[in-house]
Amino acid sequence: MSTTATSAPAIEVRGLRREFRVRQGIFSAPRQVIAVDDVSFAVPAGSVLGVVGESGCGKSTLARLILNLLAPTSGDVLVDGKRLADMDRRARARLIQPVFQDPFASLNPRRRVRDIIAMPLIAQGDVATDDMNRRVAEAMERVGLSRDQAQRYPAQLSGGQRQRVAIARALVLRPRIVVCDEPTSALDVSVQAQILNLLAELRRDLGLTYLFISHNLAVVEHIATEVAVMYLGRIVERTESERLFAAPRHPYTRALLASVLTPEPGLGVPDVGLGDIMPDPANIPPGCRFHPRCPVAIARCATEAPKSTADAAGLVECHLAESVG
Amino acid sequence: MSALLEVQDLRVTIGSTAAVRGISLSVNKGETHCLVGESGCGKSITALSIMGLLPKGSVRETQALRFAGEEIGGYGERQMEHLRGNRMAMIFQEPMTSLNPAYTVGSQMTEVLRRHRRVTRTAAVDRAAELLARVGITAPGLRLGQFPHQLSGGLRQRVMIAMSLMCDPELLIADEPTTALDVTVQAQILRLLAELQKDLGLGILLITHDLGIVARVADRVSVMYAGEVVESAPTVALFAAPEHPYTRGLLTCVPVPGKVKRDEPLGSIPGVVPRMQPGFAGCAFRDRCPEATDACAGSFPRQNMSNDHQLLCTLAPGWTGSAAA
Ligand SMILES: Nc1ncnc2c1ncn2[C@@H]1O[C@H](COP(=O)(O)OP(=O)(O)OP(=O)(O)O)[C@@H](O)[C@H]1O
Ligand SMILES: Nc1ncnc2c1ncn2[C@@H]1O[C@H](COP(=O)(O)OP(=O)(O)OP(=O)(O)O)[C@@H](O)[C@H]1O
Ligand code: SF4
Ligand code: SF4
Ligand SMILES: [Mg+2]
Ligand SMILES: [Mg+2]
Repeated sequence: MSTTATSAPAIEVRGLRREFRVRQGIFSAPRQVIAVDDVSFAVPAGSVLGVVGESGCGKSTLARLILNLLAPTSGDVLVDGKRLADMDRRARARLIQPVFQDPFASLNPRRRVRDIIAMPLIAQGDVATDDMNRRVAEAMERVGLSRDQAQRYPAQLSGGQRQRVAIARALVLRPRIVVCDEPTSALDVSVQAQILNLLAELRRDLGLTYLFISHNLAVVEHIATEVAVMYLGRIVERTESERLFAAPRHPYTRALLASVLTPEPGLGVPDVGLGDIMPDPANIPPGCRFHPRCPVAIARCATEAPKSTADAAGLVECHLAESVG
Repeated sequence: MSALLEVQDLRVTIGSTAAVRGISLSVNKGETHCLVGESGCGKSITALSIMGLLPKGSVRETQALRFAGEEIGGYGERQMEHLRGNRMAMIFQEPMTSLNPAYTVGSQMTEVLRRHRRVTRTAAVDRAAELLARVGITAPGLRLGQFPHQLSGGLRQRVMIAMSLMCDPELLIADEPTTALDVTVQAQILRLLAELQKDLGLGILLITHDLGIVARVADRVSVMYAGEVVESAPTVALFAAPEHPYTRGLLTCVPVPGKVKRDEPLGSIPGVVPRMQPGFAGCAFRDRCPEATDACAGSFPRQNMSNDHQLLCTLAPGWTGSAAA
């Protein structure tokens, strides 16, 4: 696995924005939700960008934009240096593939495992049958599925095995990038560990790049090389994984990290200091969007939105963050 | 002093599934006892059988089921109804299963109190408002008039907790009360439960699959596997010296920030939790256990080790194996 410094980032996102119109009741006027709000970043080939944040902050929307399952309201997604929107569907599938949270919902219950895994190959057209069989067998072996499981249906598999099928399907075209949206959130910890180890091994062996979404910070810390923290559609902090966990700069990142309950007795449950106001994506506060919950907000935060600043320590969006030279 | 809740040799079969296979546990006043285990191991069925809320077609057997010193195993539906929501209350993972979408928060909360106590409507409303404020809700008056769907997940769970406290229960059974919530809200809710317990002297049976939560809130832990408690000990002792191979395995599966390096595999347990049939003999973990021997297929007793630590495993010191070995 060698990536030269000059090669294009595996994923690059420029000024990405996606709005939704949502109607809460039949009589109320539709409201606008800005699920992803002017997001830009680049993921170098071979690395793992972890994306964390609370429910509704826009993680899955970001994933679907990057997979072209959803069109942006504005902005661009570049994969391997090429605009995603200009790419042919089959070429796109050979480059980038998804793995979702709930393998049961994403696998067709009426198809056998081997047919599910072969689907992306069939969609490519003109793949010889024996070549197809060989590649399916290879993908199954790669993810630790046994041969006799090829004839089974999803319902006959455990949750962890189903997630392996979803991963095998994502790998069968030998893509360079895999977008994982909460790939282990529906699994038990013992199975989660199996899948995380598998994903890490695949990245090492195949030189894959991941966009890895999870609400579990410990999981993200384990697999990501870089972490982006999302809050109400924006990335409020992004930096190298070690640095983020050792020295978080955004007050929201600090609250998230404080909430991680590690299995260490005697420490009790920390006070994260956020109060009871919940973020509402259809009603984004003026000024800093985190200010109603921010434990260290100052007067200015209620009226003036902080600018995103990039420095040697990464990117952060907070009036109080001091620049690191 | 006798325990607030005492369960001895609880067994539940549902159709052809042996969901709970001989569980004993107790909860003292002011104590938090955590029941931890992976999906399907029988945690919820244990909770429901204590509350007398088992699904139709279940068969429950116990040697003893005592609440506040009184045997309640033989209670009929009328007697159980008198206890439930009154002296013992339960909180579920998904608050919408126990909140009625058609009624306001206020009317549901006052209903609970007026079912069990002779109080005026105004007194009941006052009590509801007081408890909403107690669980950290900033505008109790407003919330009382709202419907459940108008609240965020975190607020609903706070409402559920407030509602469970309307009649001053002695025992609270909380089944995954924070699993559906964001980590920041989870920390807030768990902190709140710990505070309430200290103030009100509640006994809490807390069900979770998260060893982080266990470490931070439990006084005592029981680890469940396939319908049995395989290890039970005071929290500090269990985390300092886990004895059961399953407990030890589980602890290595949990990613802990700063503990396991990236690219170093997490510990994992091969295979999955089996579904138990009635009449199963021997250790249910033996297919996955790295230390299994022939003795594990036979029957062996639960061992009391030092310091109130109990173990169900042939490795327990003091058990020398069957004569056949
Ligand atoms: N198809 C859609 N139509 C309308 N609104 C949508 C749609 N998809 C997402 N949203 C809204 O966009 C916002 C972001 O949703 P998204 O699913 O991206 O969040 P998330 O971070 O993935 O949350 P979770 O952790 O719960 O999966 C939410 O307010 C959501 O309700
Ligand atoms: N209503 C039901 N009918 C039939 N079987 C059931 C029913 N509810 C639970 N079971 C079975 O009983 C066993 C124990 O289930 P239980 O719900 O107690 O597990 P749990 O430990 O709470 O799991 P989870 O973490 O997924 O909530 C499982 O094998 C389950 O399939
Ligand atoms: S800008 Fe102000 S409100 Fe926003 S995170 Fe920083 S201190 Fe808090
Ligand atoms: S009884 Fe045997 S199989 Fe079961 S946990 Fe102990 S050593 Fe492992
Ligand atoms: Mg999502
Ligand atoms: Mg359950």
